[in-house]
Amino acid sequence: MSPATTMATSPRPGADQDVASAGAMQPLLDARGVVKRYGKFTALNGVDLRVMPGTVHSVIGPNGAGKTTLFHTLTGTVPVSAGRIVFNGQDITREPDNVRVRRGIARSFQVTSLFGNLSVRENLRLAVQGAHPSGAFDMWHAPGRRAGIDALVDTILERLGLHARGAEAAGALSHGQQRRLEVGMALAARPRAIFLDEPTSGMGVDDLDGMKALIRGLATDHTVLLIEHNMNIVMDISDTITVMQQGRVLVEGAPAAIRDDPRVRAAYLGNMITGGQR
Amino acid sequence: MPALRDNSGLLLALAVVLLLPLLLQSGTLATEVLVYALAVLGCNLLLGYTGLLSFGQGVFFGMGSYAVGILLTRAGMPLMAAVLLSIVIGAGVAALIGWFAIRQRGTYFVMLTLAFAQMFYFLAYSLPGWTGGDNGLLGIPRPPLSLGGLASVPLDTPWRFYSFVAVVFLLTFWLLHRVTTSVFGRTLLAIRENEARARAVGYDTRLFKLAVFAISGAVTALAGALHAMMTGIAPLSNIEYHTSEMILVMTVIGGTGNLFASLLGAAFYVLAADWLSTLWPRWLLLLGLLLIGVSLFMHKGLWGVGQGLWQWATGRVRAGRPAVREQSL
Repeated sequence: MSPATTMATSPRPGADQDVASAGAMQPLLDARGVVKRYGKFTALNGVDLRVMPGTVHSVIGPNGAGKTTLFHTLTGTVPVSAGRIVFNGQDITREPDNVRVRRGIARSFQVTSLFGNLSVRENLRLAVQGAHPSGAFDMWHAPGRRAGIDALVDTILERLGLHARGAEAAGALSHGQQRRLEVGMALAARPRAIFLDEPTSGMGVDDLDGMKALIRGLATDHTVLLIEHNMNIVMDISDTITVMQQGRVLVEGAPAAIRDDPRVRAAYLGNMITGGQR
Repeated sequence: MPALRDNSGLLLALAVVLLLPLLLQSGTLATEVLVYALAVLGCNLLLGYTGLLSFGQGVFFGMGSYAVGILLTRAGMPLMAAVLLSIVIGAGVAALIGWFAIRQRGTYFVMLTLAFAQMFYFLAYSLPGWTGGDNGLLGIPRPPLSLGGLASVPLDTPWRFYSFVAVVFLLTFWLLHRVTTSVFGRTLLAIRENEARARAVGYDTRLFKLAVFAISGAVTALAGALHAMMTGIAPLSNIEYHTSEMILVMTVIGGTGNLFASLLGAAFYVLAADWLSTLWPRWLLLLGLLLIGVSLFMHKGLWGVGQGLWQWATGRVRAGRPAVREQSL
């Protein structure tokens, strides 16, 4: 079950090396026995997830498997009913989402969630500043005194391919561009780990390759936890895949092993496929 | 030129402050415009910059009136000390109400501010020893302004008092201009736009909302204090729900998210009320029609209309909305 044992077939260049060294490392994120109940309904029923540093770790599963709920408990948007979440050696189980940002966790949203009336640059500036929120209580000076923030925003705009559109309102961007900015917002905090919740949701075919390249690029200097429906992307860029079903982990392993696993085929790929090969 | 554009709101406010004495006969009426403009600035900070609809502004206004009244009549404090302490009390009460209210959003936030407004009204009504109850706190003096013990400026006539209020107003306007364009102010806009996203990128949005609530309370209490000194009385109506409503109406008519719009809204309301009430006692009906018009057709209020006319006049009508709203003065 350990990712280190199954990584030989990893398709991502250099991933073997990451994982060989990761084998000796502590996981960056270690969630144990995560339970989330909504009244009588149990959305997560004791999920264990260990994400090794420097890897792309995808979570897949049929609709209703609990992927997004797991995502929310890990990013601190919803509190857990039971279980323990350790990130980078710190117990963050009881910490709210804004505090987890300072620990080095950044996230994107499944439904695009930007500051629509503010410019693209301002969206990214706010995200960069958010990692140092005490500075945001400066009631006297306008932003822009710290050259470092501007330079970082420029770098991210370049990486997102949105440099020419920095002055436009985020709400005026195309859907594909908004999805890229959504990822950029997570990147801006210079986090240790980036959590992406269905980054390609609603994207046109033309935009998919750009997004795939962007996520693959993130993995060079971040740990990525990815929830994604698009099997093409998941199989291509993941080091480890965790398959969930009915609030539990069904199986975990490298892409090739997951593709060939009869349990996964039965539970997910065979019939209840959502998204699927595009 | 950029400096001129960045400070255009302040320059427009200065122009209005200088024009009012030329256009109006009554110094008290001119003072009333600036006093309510201060209260509207406080409300705009919440509604326009943070997206919080507070029905509790009357509480801060009334608290400012009572505080300055009690400090001047009972404690015999010098003018500036009494005004400054009233501001601190306003900020304190706002922080207390805000501490509860910001725990909820939307309808429940509004209901909490309404509940506090009612509570403070009945508190004032039930403590006639402090507030004068139904009759209000009477005989509030307007002591001369002492400038560091070097000189004493009398504020006895309406126009002298106007000059004092004008300086206080412009100073407050400038301070709020700094606050709204600061890193803090820009973060408030982010909270207004999308609070969940603001939290997700790392901001403790409750703390920001609490801070802006306290600032709003301080500015509104200052308005209430000046109002009490202007009329010589702190009436029960200053802490009534109707005052909250009036401040909100002025804010919406003027336009939200722009500081000069607050002065525009207050001036329009106070001057229209003064003019129309002599013509027709049921003039508030007309105000209702105007509010319907603003709600249906002019979401940016009078400021938006003025902006549209200016763009039309200068031939700079551009399609689409501006990229960064807060910079679109």
